[in-house]
Amino acid sequence: MRSAQPRKPVDDLAELRRLINQPERDKLRDLRDRLDDKEQRAHEVAAILPEAVTLSGDRSEELTRALRPAVEGSVRESIEKRPEVFIDALHPIIGSVVRRSIAESLRTLLQSLNQSLEQSFSWQGLKWRFEALRTGRSFAEVVMLRSLVYRVEQIFLIHRETSLSLLHLSADPAAAQDSDMVAGMLSAIQDFSRDSFKTGKDEALEEFRIGELQVWIAPGTHAYLAAAIRGNPPRELRAALEDAIERVHVLRGSALAKFNGDAAQFESLRPELEPCLRGQYQAKKTSAGTNRAWLALALGAGLVVAALIVGIQSEMRWQDFVRQLNAAPGIAVTQAEKGWISKSRVAFLRDPEVADPAALARAAGINPSRIRFEWKDYLALDDASVLRRFEKRFGKPAGTKLDLTNGALEIRGAVPYEWLARVQQDGIQSPGITSITDKDVKVTYDPDLALGRFRRAFSPPAGVIAKMENGTLLVAGTAPYEWLAPVRENAAKLPGISRISEEHLQVAYDPKLVLQRFSDRFSLPDTVNATMKDGILVLSGEAAHAWLMRVRPGAPTVPGIKTIDERNLTDLDLRAFQQSKSVIESAFVYFLVNKDNFATEGFAALSRLPDEIRRCLTAATRLGLEIQIEVRGSADAVGSGKRNAELSQRRAEAVRDFLVNCGFEPSLFKTMGLGAPPAADQPAPEQADRRTAFKVVPKS
Amino acid sequence: MIQNKVCLLGTSGVGKTSLVAQFVHSMFSDKYLTTVGVKIDKKIVQVDGTEVMFVIWDLAGDDDFQRLQTSYLRGTSGYLLVADGTRRVTLDQALELQKRVAETLGATPFVLALNKADLAPQWEVDEAQISALAAQDFTVIKTSAKEGAGVEEAFAHLARRMTASA
Repeated sequence: MRSAQPRKPVDDLAELRRLINQPERDKLRDLRDRLDDKEQRAHEVAAILPEAVTLSGDRSEELTRALRPAVEGSVRESIEKRPEVFIDALHPIIGSVVRRSIAESLRTLLQSLNQSLEQSFSWQGLKWRFEALRTGRSFAEVVMLRSLVYRVEQIFLIHRETSLSLLHLSADPAAAQDSDMVAGMLSAIQDFSRDSFKTGKDEALEEFRIGELQVWIAPGTHAYLAAAIRGNPPRELRAALEDAIERVHVLRGSALAKFNGDAAQFESLRPELEPCLRGQYQAKKTSAGTNRAWLALALGAGLVVAALIVGIQSEMRWQDFVRQLNAAPGIAVTQAEKGWISKSRVAFLRDPEVADPAALARAAGINPSRIRFEWKDYLALDDASVLRRFEKRFGKPAGTKLDLTNGALEIRGAVPYEWLARVQQDGIQSPGITSITDKDVKVTYDPDLALGRFRRAFSPPAGVIAKMENGTLLVAGTAPYEWLAPVRENAAKLPGISRISEEHLQVAYDPKLVLQRFSDRFSLPDTVNATMKDGILVLSGEAAHAWLMRVRPGAPTVPGIKTIDERNLTDLDLRAFQQSKSVIESAFVYFLVNKDNFATEGFAALSRLPDEIRRCLTAATRLGLEIQIEVRGSADAVGSGKRNAELSQRRAEAVRDFLVNCGFEPSLFKTMGLGAPPAADQPAPEQADRRTAFKVVPKS
Repeated sequence: MIQNKVCLLGTSGVGKTSLVAQFVHSMFSDKYLTTVGVKIDKKIVQVDGTEVMFVIWDLAGDDDFQRLQTSYLRGTSGYLLVADGTRRVTLDQALELQKRVAETLGATPFVLALNKADLAPQWEVDEAQISALAAQDFTVIKTSAKEGAGVEEAFAHLARRMTASA
């Protein structure tokens, strides 16, 4: 329901004012609240601050200058109080930067090494090395200059109005010139050129060349770039320089226009200009070029390894050669020096008989001409050298084995007689041989040599044919006994003749020589006459029994005597024995009647008996007989038989006793009592019966 | 560090190059003066505790045979006007030259160096003339390139004037 009460004008005016002003008042209140609310205001400022800072930076350096003291102070204070914060923050950046710097340095180094190595092993590289020596430049510098297509060595950013240097970049900081003065002179030269040739104000010297160096100038509104370039740059470089100067003006155009001499503000342009410090080297085979340094290094390493291997092999060959040389019989190495450049040298003692050391060197794979051999002769006494010397002197027959141990030579196997004889005679005189044994040898004989020895030893007479067959000397034909005799005795003693065969040989005997041989052998007595007849030795005369006993069996053994004819030869001892025996047995010793006393006649006979018995005994001894004498006693017929037996015994014993008393052995006699002779019709006392008789008989 | 291009101006034979040689260690040969007409040197000086680098352009002398190449003056922050005290005419020529430079550069700080102070008895420029110049707001300093007197002072004055005008 609407109110009927009328409104006052004042209220209306107030209401009107409120309606008109209220929105602004609300806005003002809101603005006041926002200004009072620090938090909200911070949010709002934060929202626009980045954009405001960006705009301020573009417009002028005022913000930078305004913030610099606060920022520098804040940073300084923060570093002093909490350095770890900056360390933590910068650590990854610095690490990365350092790594990048090191990587860049290594890349540059590798590139330089690459170029140097690439050129070091070529003819061109040698020429450049000579040039480096000639000009006094380093080889790397010459390589760089000669392999360079172009390189931007320095970049000057020069303020056009003041000619002052704003920024200077150099590929080689050590070689950098004073950029301020260079910039001035460049500007002066530009002005000089412009003035001299009356060019327009905007015209400028764009480039000039001095030897290998040229300067390209990229003009800008407020500044220009001057690039000092070595080599022949491509036209693309100019575009790059012009792009760079344009970017410089875009980024720092206002600063350039208001330049007041402070060049530090343009330091931030360095990253923009660094790409202009570019270069190009002679085209390389990129695929292989990248690895060329490694290839060269590998090649170098390979050469080193190869050199090492060759060196080690050479050393091993040398050591092997020295070892073999020292081990060679008859060589004693005293000094060995391996020469890598000069000749090697080896000094040693050398037996003249040993092998040539040069041959050992060749066998070891060493050129003998690269070795200086120095030796002194000596006589080696090691077994090998001694044996070699022995074999050289005496030779070594096939099938013969020689072993030498500590100077003792042992010969084994099949050995020719002649060789062995020579060795046995002279081998011990060979230096180093102290003894020679040949127990186990099988001596072999050459038939011809054996026959020759036989011929030389025995000179076979004409008519004798001799030959060897399996060690047997076959003698044929007719040969005198006198020649054959020594052959028989000695030929088999000759080496190579084991026996003699006379199967087809007839022996011829000379009778005189046969008799002479017989006489010489048996001492022919003067009482004997000897003759030869058809191989029969005919003896006549008288000879002692003993001589006959020698001749009878011996004469047929005398060469040339087949048998003996001794029918006319008397045995003197036999005849004497028989004579004595006869005398003794014919002697009677008579006794008195009925007594055992000798009768007178008996004494006469008895006195002759001892001498005769002695003669008989002597002859019997010569004949080789042992005899006994029977003493036979007898009695006459008178008396009894018993008495006569006893009497006859006593009479025999009386004779025996008499003879024993004469010096004979009792055993020589055998007494016998024969008694009386057989009774006759009328016994008579006959003296002839009263006797003792004797009988020579072989001893029983 | 603030850099400033500074030129040495004056008639031939007044000792500009000798003054520079006293002041700096040169990099380029003097022959550039006769070929290109300028030789660039560099010197860092202290101005009120602040280091300032002078890139000094030693311009060939301005005479009947060789006119100053005014293009070399472009961007100059200040210059040293050199005259030979023993030859009055060089001062006049320097003053004439200063006018030409001022036409090119406008109001640019400069210092007038009256060189060869070591030959004071032979001077043709007297103190009255010097005072008159001072009255015209010229900074006049007597220098001796031979003995080194006043050289550092001349450049220091120029530096201060350049700083003041910046």
